[in-house]
Amino acid sequence: MTPSPDRRRFGDSKKDRIDALAQTAGSTAGGAQGGTVMTVADAGRVSGGEGQSLIASAWKRLRRNPVFLTGAAITFVFIVLAIIGPWIAPYDPVAQPLLSQVRRQTNPVPGPQPGFPLGGDDVGRDLLSRLLVGGRQTLIVGVLATLGGLFGGLTLGTLAGAIGGWVDSLVMRIVDVMLSIPGLILAVSIAAIAASPSQTTVIIAIAVVQIPIFARLLRGSMLAQRASDHVLAARALGVKPHAIVFRHMLPNSLGPVIVQATLVLATAIIEAAGLSFLGLGNPDDRQPEWGQMLGQAQNYVSDYPHLAIYPALCIIVVALGFTLMGESLREALDPKSRR
Amino acid sequence: MSQTTSYASTSDAARHGDEPLLQVRDLKVTFKRQGEEPFVAVDGIDFDVRPGQTVGLVGESGCGKSVTSLAIMGLLPKRGNRVEGEVLFNGTDLLKLSDSDMRDRRGQELAMIFQDPLSSLNPVVPVGLQVAEVLERHKGMSRKAAMVVAREMLDKVGIPDPDRRLKDYPHQMSGGMRQRALIAIALACEPRLLIADEPTTALDVTIQAQILTLLKDLVRETGTALIMITHDLGVVAGLCDEVNVLYAGRIVERAERHPLFEQPRHPYTNGLLESIPKLEVGRGERLNPIPGSVADNLPWTSACAFAPRCLNALEVCREQTPQLEMDFGRALRCFNPVEVAR
Amino acid sequence: MTSTANADHDVTGSADSAVPADADHRDVLVDVRGVKVHFPIRKGVIFDKTIGYVYAVDGVDLQIRRGETYGLVGESGCGKSTLGRAILNLEPPTEGSVTFDGVDIASLKGEELRRKRQDIQMVFQDPMSSLDPRQSVESLLLEGLKAHGLIENDAAANQRLRELLAAVGLPPAALKKYPHEFSGGQRQRIGIARALSVNPKLIVADEPVSALDVSVQAQVINLLEDLQEEFGLTYLVVAHDLAVVRHISDRVGVMYLGALAEEAPAADLYARPLHPYTRALLSAVPVPDPVIEDQRERILLTGDLPSPANPPTGCRFHTRCPWRQPTRCDTERPVLRTVELPGVPKDHRVACHWAEQIESGELRPHEVEAIAVEQTAGVLAPDSPIIGPTSIGEIG
Repeated sequence: MTPSPDRRRFGDSKKDRIDALAQTAGSTAGGAQGGTVMTVADAGRVSGGEGQSLIASAWKRLRRNPVFLTGAAITFVFIVLAIIGPWIAPYDPVAQPLLSQVRRQTNPVPGPQPGFPLGGDDVGRDLLSRLLVGGRQTLIVGVLATLGGLFGGLTLGTLAGAIGGWVDSLVMRIVDVMLSIPGLILAVSIAAIAASPSQTTVIIAIAVVQIPIFARLLRGSMLAQRASDHVLAARALGVKPHAIVFRHMLPNSLGPVIVQATLVLATAIIEAAGLSFLGLGNPDDRQPEWGQMLGQAQNYVSDYPHLAIYPALCIIVVALGFTLMGESLREALDPKSRR
Repeated sequence: MSQTTSYASTSDAARHGDEPLLQVRDLKVTFKRQGEEPFVAVDGIDFDVRPGQTVGLVGESGCGKSVTSLAIMGLLPKRGNRVEGEVLFNGTDLLKLSDSDMRDRRGQELAMIFQDPLSSLNPVVPVGLQVAEVLERHKGMSRKAAMVVAREMLDKVGIPDPDRRLKDYPHQMSGGMRQRALIAIALACEPRLLIADEPTTALDVTIQAQILTLLKDLVRETGTALIMITHDLGVVAGLCDEVNVLYAGRIVERAERHPLFEQPRHPYTNGLLESIPKLEVGRGERLNPIPGSVADNLPWTSACAFAPRCLNALEVCREQTPQLEMDFGRALRCFNPVEVAR
Repeated sequence: MTSTANADHDVTGSADSAVPADADHRDVLVDVRGVKVHFPIRKGVIFDKTIGYVYAVDGVDLQIRRGETYGLVGESGCGKSTLGRAILNLEPPTEGSVTFDGVDIASLKGEELRRKRQDIQMVFQDPMSSLDPRQSVESLLLEGLKAHGLIENDAAANQRLRELLAAVGLPPAALKKYPHEFSGGQRQRIGIARALSVNPKLIVADEPVSALDVSVQAQVINLLEDLQEEFGLTYLVVAHDLAVVRHISDRVGVMYLGALAEEAPAADLYARPLHPYTRALLSAVPVPDPVIEDQRERILLTGDLPSPANPPTGCRFHTRCPWRQPTRCDTERPVLRTVELPGVPKDHRVACHWAEQIESGELRPHEVEAIAVEQTAGVLAPDSPIIGPTSIGEIG
């Protein structure tokens, strides 16, 4: 998550518990440590042991949150599938074992049969194999598009939020213009500019659409941070400006952005499917991708809806997984829910 | 000022009544949040309020004073909270009433004012109308009649130029004026009990003096009983007939205000009074703070919660739970109370 | 401290005659001259237009002597916090100068200002929000040391951190913890330790105890007094609580609507308030003693505090003053002056035209008609904090 030095404490909860126990034992023994004095010191007690960072305490709450666990489980299965998909797929996704059954007029899509539980597609390829293998490309599109959007958004948002003044106005006007164009239309126009549509153009188109969302979000929380007391305190302390931005403002602004990233991952996959559906996806179907499969199913959707339903279901479940994770993260990172 | 006469009659009857108006018996509020240990915010509180009496609940943050008031008003969210015990108002247990019965009583028989008047007022409704709405709902008045009374109420709580202010929205008023408007709403239906939860904490000291004087006058004039919830012992000293000092969800000392301030018996009460900077004492005189913070408390179940911070603590204080016992007209929960006057 | 004596002398040389020339004068650490902080009120759809100003601080002169505690007291919206920040140049003054040890802080910028910050530190009101929740206490305390190059090696740094914690009464175990794991009072101690870490000469404490529980306030007040003695610090304590200010201060300035109404040694001010506003303020403080409370004569001010965007003409207080006179009060703005009264020391100064007559009983208080002040939409309410730089140039 955040590049924080505290990550190593994730596994230290057991130690914490032991420390806490030791501490309670100490306090019931009265002023054992302090000789005859029964009363606490002026400042009160400070328990021993390692401290628990905000991220660690958020993680502690998340671990027991069923919503988060569901989302994480779905995401985990999806990632595993993306890695091992090609090995568990019964057929090569480009092989056409059912080609002999395809009849342009009478039977364009071979149905389910022994060895092919989901049947084949319109050129006789095994649908199950293509779904299993397609997870990887879908993940790549989703992750790269999100990372691209995140990178662009972080750069613009940090610029606007940290420098302020006319830079802020300029960046924000650009962002406003981008936001005023509906996302899909913007993606369509970017994808259409490219000489020939490909995986890369899809990723770029979706990434660009996400940039203003991240930029606005980050700029907003950076501004809130800039007005916060702890940034004022750092200024009063004489901390160097770049250290204030990168040590105090940025890490404290990232929470909502990370949450948004998990949600954007879901929408990126859906938007990729949308572009494919509109014929702006990757035409090279040797590497299957769910969105692309969904797009190609449109010719047969009235007679053979299962061609669309299977990839659509996969997308919906995966998107749900990321969304559940994102929503529970938002809840856990919300300072108001901390006690 | 036709209002004044009707108020006067109730107040006369009220002063001489001996029956408690409100009896809180073993009130216990437990917060239960998902995945967390249950937290006992109010741990068995008993007190009475007689008609026309002003009772103070004093304590620091986390002592359960505000939770107590919300429990009495039935304003705690049902989800995640368990409220036990009895709150007898005129003999009826408020905790057993249905939500709609409770809503009928709130605003009519019991009213409450809060610390932050801005968030307690509806930002999109003019304050005059907000006063009138209460009257329409509880007294069945027509809008026109209610507005006339609303104007009188604004005048009564000292809002200058009430005719114009009727149409003002809360954000157009200063903090002090908002608190006055809130008091007008609370008192519009002549409730028999008013609960004021830190009504002046958000206000400046000169405005606080105005509001406290106003409350004092209104209570005297109308015979409304008042529960004053505050952390400020100075506020209590000038206003309350009887004072309950709360610590960690329990009452640790209860007395009439004069004996309480003249000779605090509980080490916590005494410590609070000792630690407050006084106007007449200047530099060089060290304050005597209470050591530690509420984070150092022990659980009431097996000890005195205050023991770790207490300068009078004995072994027994860490081993047994002290009970609230009567002691020369005051109630005290302590094994080793302060003996001598300050 | 001998090296600065020269610089001090220069300051005294350039100072004008508004300050009584006595021996104390030589020891002035901070010399605030005619400081004004005006916040523009902007409005506009595309281009922001300035439609007026909030006169948060409107012409303040004050001197803080080395080693003393100067208490600045007033109600919300009086500009006391803004003045505190202007002295640190966290809020650059619109006008005026703040001379600190011979250097005009108000004219410093960028790296020079950042280096000078080592000498003037701040303690904040809310210890939770003023500590970065993502930093451990160790990194919070190291930050200032690093920024000013005060550490040579890890061992020395560790030693220094332990000393700092010990100075504020916290155990070394606190180093590895995060702000949310402490109680309010402990957090404020960390905030104080952070301020101490860079060896400042002046600490501006903005409402240092008002966010704390009553029983904890006294701990922090005592701690501040101990540290002052131990490290020879000078304090500017900004607070609304008169009893707290009285307890901690040597001299007190009372602010009303952006200007000083009265300034005096603490004991004098509380024993013999001369300004009508100070009288009202003192009489309004609730005292935890029922006997006093029952007998007190309160001077109840009527109406609201006027908006600092639209301050009254003449004496700022005349709209609420029970001693207001038909002449001068609403036309002529009074300046801080010494009064010719027996028993009133020279450094007890008051900004009231009629202080002598009021004190002698020649003038009697009268009824004042309450005026409710319309809170103009869009204009910052007097009690909302005005913070945040507008560009990176102002960070640091």
